[in-house]
Amino acid sequence: MIEIFGASNVTNKQVDLYPYSYDMTENESHMPDFVVIPENNDQLVQLIKFCNQFIIPIIPYTTGNNVGGLTIPDYGGIIVDFGKKMNKILHIDDNMMYALVEPGVTFGQLKKHLEENYPHLRYSYPNAPPYAGIMGNALLSGMTNLGAKIGSMADGLNGLEVITADGDIVRIGSCFYGESEAELDSWWCRYPMPDLLGLFVNWQGTTGLVTKCSVQLWPKEPIEKPQLVLFFGLTDVGPFLREVGRAEVVNDVAAFSVEVAKMEVGIPEPTRYPGEPPYTAVVPISAKTEKQMEAKLEIFKNVIDDLNKKGTNIQSIDYYEFSKLFNLKARNIYDLPSQILSLHEYSGLTWFGAYAPSHKFEELIERTDELYHKHGIPPFNYLKIMKGGHYGIFRPIFRFKKFTDQEKIVKLVDEIADVCIELGCIPYKTPSWITTKLRKKINPGWLRLFEKIKSCMDPNNIFNPGRWNT
Amino acid sequence: MVQVDDDLFGKAFLEMAFDRCIKCSTCKYSYKEFEPSCPSGEKFLFESYWASGRIRTIRGLINGDLEWSEDLKDPIFACTTCGACIDSCNAPHADYIVDMIEALRELAVKHIGSAENQEFLISRCEESCNPYGEPNSDNIELKKKFNLPDKAEWVYYIGCTSNYRQQNLRDSTIRFLKKAGINFTLIDEHCCTSPMIRTGQIGIVNDYMNYNIAQIKNTGASKVITSCAGCYKTIKRDFKRFGGEYDFEVYHTVELVKQLLDEGKITFKSEYNKTITYHDPCHLGRHMGIYEIPREIYKQIPGLKLVEMKRNRNFAWCCGAGGGVKIGYPDWAVEVSSERLKEAKETGATVVSSTCPFCRTNLSDANKNYNFEFEVLDLMEIIDQVDIELIS
Repeated sequence: MIEIFGASNVTNKQVDLYPYSYDMTENESHMPDFVVIPENNDQLVQLIKFCNQFIIPIIPYTTGNNVGGLTIPDYGGIIVDFGKKMNKILHIDDNMMYALVEPGVTFGQLKKHLEENYPHLRYSYPNAPPYAGIMGNALLSGMTNLGAKIGSMADGLNGLEVITADGDIVRIGSCFYGESEAELDSWWCRYPMPDLLGLFVNWQGTTGLVTKCSVQLWPKEPIEKPQLVLFFGLTDVGPFLREVGRAEVVNDVAAFSVEVAKMEVGIPEPTRYPGEPPYTAVVPISAKTEKQMEAKLEIFKNVIDDLNKKGTNIQSIDYYEFSKLFNLKARNIYDLPSQILSLHEYSGLTWFGAYAPSHKFEELIERTDELYHKHGIPPFNYLKIMKGGHYGIFRPIFRFKKFTDQEKIVKLVDEIADVCIELGCIPYKTPSWITTKLRKKINPGWLRLFEKIKSCMDPNNIFNPGRWNT
Repeated sequence: MVQVDDDLFGKAFLEMAFDRCIKCSTCKYSYKEFEPSCPSGEKFLFESYWASGRIRTIRGLINGDLEWSEDLKDPIFACTTCGACIDSCNAPHADYIVDMIEALRELAVKHIGSAENQEFLISRCEESCNPYGEPNSDNIELKKKFNLPDKAEWVYYIGCTSNYRQQNLRDSTIRFLKKAGINFTLIDEHCCTSPMIRTGQIGIVNDYMNYNIAQIKNTGASKVITSCAGCYKTIKRDFKRFGGEYDFEVYHTVELVKQLLDEGKITFKSEYNKTITYHDPCHLGRHMGIYEIPREIYKQIPGLKLVEMKRNRNFAWCCGAGGGVKIGYPDWAVEVSSERLKEAKETGATVVSSTCPFCRTNLSDANKNYNFEFEVLDLMEIIDQVDIELIS
């Protein structure tokens, strides 16, 4: 390892390995055998060849914020910490609006770079800490605050550079021309060749080491008028998400149980009092001109009025006006990427994060609500509508004290997972123990194909073994 | 909950580490500025060298996942305790991260000893009451030189770095106090114990604290002033934590200067025609919340142009000297400082100024080692070069 990476970039000291042995979730800790900090592809090619020769697991790591235990080395091996040196923004293409980044680039880093150098462009940001990695989130189909427009982070991928199990360096997307390094301005599109990105997206680091990634950027619209929406009926948020999604006027909808929303603005106790709405949503809306904004707000208001005529009780207010009541940190719900106040309260955080059929939102809310009450835990649901209303996100999320409350929370997540999978939800950033449940429901043909591809891509199962129960 | 040794001063902070921190890494960036903020993590890179890693190390050591070994020393002691993580993190435990690290050091000293050379902080004090190992100055000669009384309203607590390494800063401060008509005296000081608290070697803290408090009380003073950010934090904050009983007020020199300016008792009469950039000492800024007072003083000096570095106030990059790093990791301490001076260079300033003798020392060392060609001066040394009119 020292020969490949240099002494200061390799450690097997227990104290250094220990922080890589766990994450914020309930997933069991496992110590790696080494942590290495790579600087270039040559080192990684050597590492992969070495690990294949001796059947040693390799676990890619950027910042470990995936909330799924996905960088915990379940079978030991070598953690490849991309976050520390392979963290450069290689190119911003103003013309075709994309960023070419190394694996360790974070949301905060890209946001700062764009604001300072390309203020007319923006990326999409999740409700994640600013130090979370862009590439990891894109490869795991994470969320964005442009979700209602563009879908998941993975939908905005233009191309990848990957080192495969045999040490080959592969470029996918429009950057695929040529034998040597791709031109920086060639990473502009994912199509129309066979979509080989699918071999690496959502595989949780089990099919190769991704070393470059091109992500789409968008024009930063100058006028923003986010709205705060209150839902006074338990399931009113369901039809709202569906209708507002297809209205195509909002960038995103981040709907929370009110208990979460209250904590976001600094109210510590997750309690809903009589008369308070069970759900709230922050809805970013942006426009190029005031006139366009007026039209969007009119359509947005019409959606709410039409729903209320049918029996819902939904109210919206200007989010900027509302947020003046609170401090700067509270306003960060909107100003992403940001540390989300309520979620880092203790030592643990977990979720059942799932893509969801949006016509099942009401049933998901009602059935999980029963479970919350059964376990005496306040509702912590988080919902989104994606890509013009084509699908939804349903994500119960929990902060907890790892050393005292974990058992209780895991039991609840376990039951919630059963209900959600039964209703057709598909988890993402999936911890191994939920994958076990998932595999029982997936059709055998899909599983056989999946296993065949995995075996082909990684014959010695050295890439992040244990994920997807491989 | 695990059991933590009751004898440990930092017991509560070690316990706090157990159910706090999800390792979200927000501590690695200045909040909303997205600038690197942690000198230790940026240098050593592995997760064990960032605040969240150190919190995890506490857990591992107390619950037995980690065994004590020499390997632990660098991750525990190679940290300036600058508190940048405190200002970056937004979790409820944020304000206590440095307390947790100091508690971890206390635990480490008990099991594996201090980092290399940090033990001299104690042995030198045992010989001469200061961590530099210089013959103890009881300050009697200084009192004679400046004609200071035995009893006074104020005590100027010089601090070891000013008294043994930055004597121009010390003398500038004394001259200012004289010019401003402050009724003050000096005491036979023992080290304030800041270096010991920062490095987990707290065995002598109570004795030294009580000695210093007694010396101050003997003068009849109701106010103590110091020109050292480290002494200021220690006397004002840590003495209380360690049970020190006193009722005198504690001032940093900048607070007195500002007060005199605000009350119209002094004005700066001559010009200081240089461009300066101000380095916020961690112990005065992040730890004690004083950012604007020194800036307001600089701005009142005729001719002086104050320019800001990219990272300033609570996001200021540490000078690299604190937390025992200057003695334990001297080369790295200067390396950290050189990064600060690179940033200072971008401002076009010719003078780098601070309000802490320890920052002044380390910035001066980097200035010399890396040939930056700045003038490095404390604010009090700049004021010493300006005519002051006392308005009665």
